[in-house]
Amino acid sequence: MKIIKVILENMNKASQKNKALMIFKPVLNAMDEFFFGTDKVTSLPHIVDNMDIKRLMSLVIIALMPVTIASVYFWGLRVFLVIMVSYAFGGLIEVCFAVFRKKEIHEGFLVTGLIFPLILPPGVPLWVVAIGVMFGVIFGKEAFGGTGRNIFNPAIVGRVFLTIAFPNIMTMNWQMPFNKGLGGFIHFQNSVDAITTATPLALFKNQGIITSYSNLMLGQSAGCIGETFRVGIIAGGLFLIAMRIVDWRLPLAYLATVVIFPYLGNHLIHTQFALGGFQLLSGGLLLGAFFMATDPVTSPFTKPGRWIAGFLLGFLTVLIRGLSGYMEGVMFSILLVNAFTPLIDTMVLKARYKKK
Amino acid sequence: MLKPARTFRGGYRFKNFNGQARPVIVENQIPALVTIPLKQGFGAELKSLVKKGDAVFAGQTIARDDSVVSSPIHSSVNGVVEDVKRMNYFKRQTAMVIIRTTNASKEIPRLERCSLEWARLSNEKIEELVYLSGVSSLDREGIPTRFKSSIIPPEEVKHLIVHGIGSEPYNISLDLLLKEKNLLNFLEGVKILKRIMPNSKVHLSLNSKKRNIIEQVTKLTSQLEWLDTYPLEPKYPQGYDEILVPTILNQNFPYGYSAANIGVVILNIQAVLGVYEAVCEGKPFIERIIAICGPSIKDNIHIKVRVGTSLKDILAERVKTESPIRVALNSLLTGFQLNDISLPVDRTFSHIIAIPEKREREFLSFMRLGKTRDSYTRAFLAEMLPWVKRAPDTNKHGEERPCISCGFCERACPVKIIPHLLAKYVQRNLIDETIMNYGIFNCIECGLCSYVCPSKISLMKIIKEGQDKLIMQGCDSTQCILPYFNLKGIKEYRGVTKL
Ligand code: SF4
Ligand code: SF4
Repeated sequence: MKIIKVILENMNKASQKNKALMIFKPVLNAMDEFFFGTDKVTSLPHIVDNMDIKRLMSLVIIALMPVTIASVYFWGLRVFLVIMVSYAFGGLIEVCFAVFRKKEIHEGFLVTGLIFPLILPPGVPLWVVAIGVMFGVIFGKEAFGGTGRNIFNPAIVGRVFLTIAFPNIMTMNWQMPFNKGLGGFIHFQNSVDAITTATPLALFKNQGIITSYSNLMLGQSAGCIGETFRVGIIAGGLFLIAMRIVDWRLPLAYLATVVIFPYLGNHLIHTQFALGGFQLLSGGLLLGAFFMATDPVTSPFTKPGRWIAGFLLGFLTVLIRGLSGYMEGVMFSILLVNAFTPLIDTMVLKARYKKK
Repeated sequence: MLKPARTFRGGYRFKNFNGQARPVIVENQIPALVTIPLKQGFGAELKSLVKKGDAVFAGQTIARDDSVVSSPIHSSVNGVVEDVKRMNYFKRQTAMVIIRTTNASKEIPRLERCSLEWARLSNEKIEELVYLSGVSSLDREGIPTRFKSSIIPPEEVKHLIVHGIGSEPYNISLDLLLKEKNLLNFLEGVKILKRIMPNSKVHLSLNSKKRNIIEQVTKLTSQLEWLDTYPLEPKYPQGYDEILVPTILNQNFPYGYSAANIGVVILNIQAVLGVYEAVCEGKPFIERIIAICGPSIKDNIHIKVRVGTSLKDILAERVKTESPIRVALNSLLTGFQLNDISLPVDRTFSHIIAIPEKREREFLSFMRLGKTRDSYTRAFLAEMLPWVKRAPDTNKHGEERPCISCGFCERACPVKIIPHLLAKYVQRNLIDETIMNYGIFNCIECGLCSYVCPSKISLMKIIKEGQDKLIMQGCDSTQCILPYFNLKGIKEYRGVTKL
């Protein structure tokens, strides 16, 4: 603790002496705040809640830990590298904007930087990760004015951009996960012959094969880095709900729609629409429903709005999965519904505060 | 059989704060010097009837004016008037009578014609006793008597709500207030009030966790058909008039006005006990029971002090001095900060709360387990250890950040408005009818939104600012309230003058 203090003080002194180093002031401040907390006191009310944004974000990261650790087991130590690249390049953009705007650095990035790698295919080249995360942070967040003002979830913006810009890399590069012994904990990445398996969604669509539910739950299927270990995702999501950090309405509405709605579709064209249970456990649905659709900034803040958004998300996801050329409906539907969020909120407010 | 506890949507339950006052009462010494403000609680400021050099006795009326809404004020000691002057008292220049004690006897002369058999007194006499004793100045609207201690006449009161809920982080002990004989006195007080306000229905609302008290009260009052007892969940801010009325009467509250305007009088337990003491024992209201709470106090107890005692006399020996502290009056969420401890205690004091003023920084503060930390979320260890006391302090516990629309403030707001939305409008200076439509004038300034916000935004302050700006533009709450209510006795709009 002392050591950190001394280092920070010295760095502070150095930056005061040297004009050129002044631009790193936001970085130093952020580190200072990170380690030592605040010395500000309240006015009225005299006491305030102990929760702050740092802890809030840390808890989201804790909730993502089971998935992250499992993903290392499934896909090898390379996952660490992917995460590091994501943090490094995303952080770089974040710092640049903070320096440029002369504002403090906000914690929101800590979550984006971890979620983004989790929604990429395991074999993704590192340069693609870097491009994706930079695009996401710049156009998903900073372009709108930074934390709290963004309309779209930055991780999803990055991911959708990559899907459109590099369709081959993003949709072909699947692997089967490790499943024996220490698996990925002692390997760097999967061997070449594990590659080119299709994801469960693609298997269903092209060959009508349904992967078993237990394999889907425990991560024994192809998919994005962090989306396959579904037990962990559910545990993390419930943890956040129990902590009252995430509102349960939106995920419930989303998942319920995805389970119920396909029965209808299945009746009409059963080759296109898989049954609800399978839909629920495949693709990035759970990760998206618990960790991305619920991002408070980009989801409606009114309670009826959350129900509506959840329903819309479910509807769109099933439609895109069933009828479009893309296997993965979750990302697109979250992006679309993000765009409608302000409209949904305005409508709900209008209805609630109708002139009597 | 107890009725199920009633409650309201929103709000927050403050649990198990460290430094709750024990149900023990200690009488403070008669102070050598008292300073008595001529405006105390509800009502107008009065003119002094005494001047420098006059000899006064404890309980002597030193200010009274029956022509304005007010209650008489008494000397609280036997002594000589040293000075009558204006001083700054809670941000307002207030006239003060300063009295030096000459005889520290504890005797207080009784009010004339008080009687234990109050049933034999005439209504007028009872009202006069209540008025003369000064208890009628308690609580926000006062106790109506014909002597102008409230804005409505006593016959027009339809509902009398008496509450002892204790939903603040620190509360005066209900067990102490209603101990043994006091409980009977209290019920006697309720009956007296019913006599003064003959057309009222009485609603006793008590903390649902105090089952034994509720059971006793229910037993003792079962044959009174004009009285109902309600257990209420002790969720902040249940004790506010604006929340009590909807919870108990299922009626909308005319935000910004007083409950008296819809024919409701709301009193707390201390006021009712005061009524009993005035009418049956003839005691002028010159003593006050105050709970001394908070972790920065050596021994958390209740004290009985004379009105006008300076805070220094009360606190000097009682606070811990190792580290800086902050002293707040009555409530940690909305109470005044008592910086100047030369100020005197008046009739409206019920809690004095001292907590550490914590400016020290804490290493990796946000990663601590938080065994003693209170939070609206369940993300601290304290949530799992209900027996561990929570330690409040004045640190902000985090940096200010932009709003992330997490919705905590909306979930906590007891009057169902959306604080973050209003704050965004106010901060962008979009002050117009939209925010009035969104209910900005419904805000009762409970402070919960500012409490729960993880981004440490001072929402309450911003909302207040928005209200002020709106009023400057000529909009005020009359536009959203008056068309929907049939209000009685309106003289002024009180929301604006609230401190
Ligand atoms: S201070 Fe006003 S806006 Fe904030 S929670 Fe209380 S009533 Fe709601
Ligand atoms: S609690 Fe704070 S951060 Fe959350 S919505 Fe309200 S103002 Fe925004």
